[in-house]
Amino acid sequence: MKLTQIQTTAEDHRIAKLAAFAIALHLVEAVIPSPLPGVKPGIANIVTLYVLYQYGFATAAWVSILRVFASSLLLGQFLSPTFVLSLTGALLSLGMLWLAMRLPKKWFGPISLSVFAAFAHIAGQLIVVRLWLIPHVGVVYLVPVFALAALIFGMINGFITAKLLKHKSA
Amino acid sequence: MRYLIISLLLLLSSCFKEPLYHSQSYVFGTLVDISIYGETDARARLLSNQVLADFQNLHNRLHAWQPIAAGQASELGQLNAAFAHGKPMLISPDLASMLVDATKLSVQSNGLFNPAIGHLIGTWGFQRDEFSAVNIDADKISALVKAQPSMSDIVLNGHAAYSNNPSVKLDLGGYAKGYALDLAAQYLRKAQVKNALINIGGNIIAIGQHGDQPWRVGIQHPRAPTAIATLDLPDGWAIGTSGDYQRYFMRDGQRYCHIIDPRSGYPAPHTQAVTVLVPPSVHAGVLSDVASKPIFIETAENRSKAAQIFAIDHFMVVDAQSTITVSKQLAKKLHWTDAHVKFATLP
Amino acid sequence: MLNLRRYLKALNPKLMTPYLFVGDCLVLLASTLLVGYLFQTLWTNEHAAKVQIRLGDKIYASYSLNQQREIHIHGKLGDAVISIAQGKVRFAKSPCTMQYCVHQGWLSQAGQAAICLPNQISLELIGAAQPYDTLNY
Repeated sequence: MKLTQIQTTAEDHRIAKLAAFAIALHLVEAVIPSPLPGVKPGIANIVTLYVLYQYGFATAAWVSILRVFASSLLLGQFLSPTFVLSLTGALLSLGMLWLAMRLPKKWFGPISLSVFAAFAHIAGQLIVVRLWLIPHVGVVYLVPVFALAALIFGMINGFITAKLLKHKSA
Repeated sequence: MRYLIISLLLLLSSCFKEPLYHSQSYVFGTLVDISIYGETDARARLLSNQVLADFQNLHNRLHAWQPIAAGQASELGQLNAAFAHGKPMLISPDLASMLVDATKLSVQSNGLFNPAIGHLIGTWGFQRDEFSAVNIDADKISALVKAQPSMSDIVLNGHAAYSNNPSVKLDLGGYAKGYALDLAAQYLRKAQVKNALINIGGNIIAIGQHGDQPWRVGIQHPRAPTAIATLDLPDGWAIGTSGDYQRYFMRDGQRYCHIIDPRSGYPAPHTQAVTVLVPPSVHAGVLSDVASKPIFIETAENRSKAAQIFAIDHFMVVDAQSTITVSKQLAKKLHWTDAHVKFATLP
Repeated sequence: MLNLRRYLKALNPKLMTPYLFVGDCLVLLASTLLVGYLFQTLWTNEHAAKVQIRLGDKIYASYSLNQQREIHIHGKLGDAVISIAQGKVRFAKSPCTMQYCVHQGWLSQAGQAAICLPNQISLELIGAAQPYDTLNY
């Protein structure tokens, strides 16, 4: 019998490890009940943001996308609306991070990036909800609630990331 | 998840249920809507039922075409029959005082407000609960106009009334609702009600306010199922609209509304709606009903003069071309529903 | 659990200051204004949530506008049909002669009303914020 050896790099291992950590956070969050369905702190995004700062955008994108796919498979939500919402949110916030990381580091720290990403995340999700899940104008009622949640959780996640990064460098 | 949020909001709002009692009923052939704020539900219900009972009573007595029972005409019906036969009839004191008041207002308006043209209104088919388009009988209409029925033809002698002109037929359709508003406001104030809003078929009078906010009234758009503007109705103020959209029929593409120009005998064709806002007085309700009619009937150049007949400073006109004209005083109080609405202001 | 504790700690603004740059403050300020603006514009719009139907002087029923439905009501004159669809409501059929109520068409904003006087049925749209207490017509 011949074993097919897959060549893995240190980079792959790092992505796998970080993604595993993100998945764990994602799963923890999935079982914590939320007062409003859809409003979640998104603590897994701390990992994405941390990775972005430590290892660059490509690694962050891998970790984020892997996290979405793996978590949905583990939770049995693969290709379900929850998965689509999660993926759209992740893609849009990655897009936003890709833009926001170009901002001068002197003035804009992880908190800004985290808030931007959180807004992009809910924007993506609300678009999916409006176009696909609940094609009804009533969805606009949700926009302010979700935006407020994005602001608060984006801020807190950004702060935690900033703190983690400081620990690392210290 | 939207259901959840909506039900959450509803749950939240039910925790802060305000002391507002609201009732609706059909009297005067129209919708009567009473809101009472700040009373217990039980007391508010009692008071509003009493008001509604008074309205029903007034309606039965003043109905221009509906008999109380088979073969028994309403008090107004009997009076009209007596007028037609040139006979005197004893009438109740409140009807007598209504006739005195309506006559005064009719004279003031040079006959533009004329409750004596019941025959004309009947000819146009508007004295029916369920009216429909009628054939226009030009000869009959001109004969009715020539007969010149006028409130001044009515003579009151003590409690007896008779008419010098057999063509007088009273139709208090443009007066009774306003009278009932004043009556109800008086009754509720006497009962120590601090805050109430009474709406009889669109004519509204305010007592006090809605909690810490004034009562807020929407003014119906004459051609769309929505409010054209809103305004605050302070304590004692009344508002009334005459429109061509509540009672009308279409014939050969033309609209015939229930507001008839006594001079021509034909429905006034050049107006969609006139709204008047009346400051506090014992007759605020009556004026909110009566004062819009001369403005409605008059042509554009005479409208301001028509408003001055009853010293109306706050009024709005929507003419047949949907052009909106607002007096300067009213323009200050209106909140337009459509922020881009076009309107002209009168000095 | 470590995370939860961190989360709670993060709510302390004093702890946050060393990580806040000038730009971050601006971003937070702008975001707060944006959220406030969203609440103000989107929550004061007057889309109605439900329709209250009255028959005579009684409330007949209230229905959510978020459904597809036909309601048959026996009024003073006869059977009327009220249609609800996609956040809107209208009189679809009425036994009255003049058909004013049917001509009112679709209603969707809170405060809007359609009244059929002959048949004594009225529709009134109820929203989160009623734009007025009563209607002058």
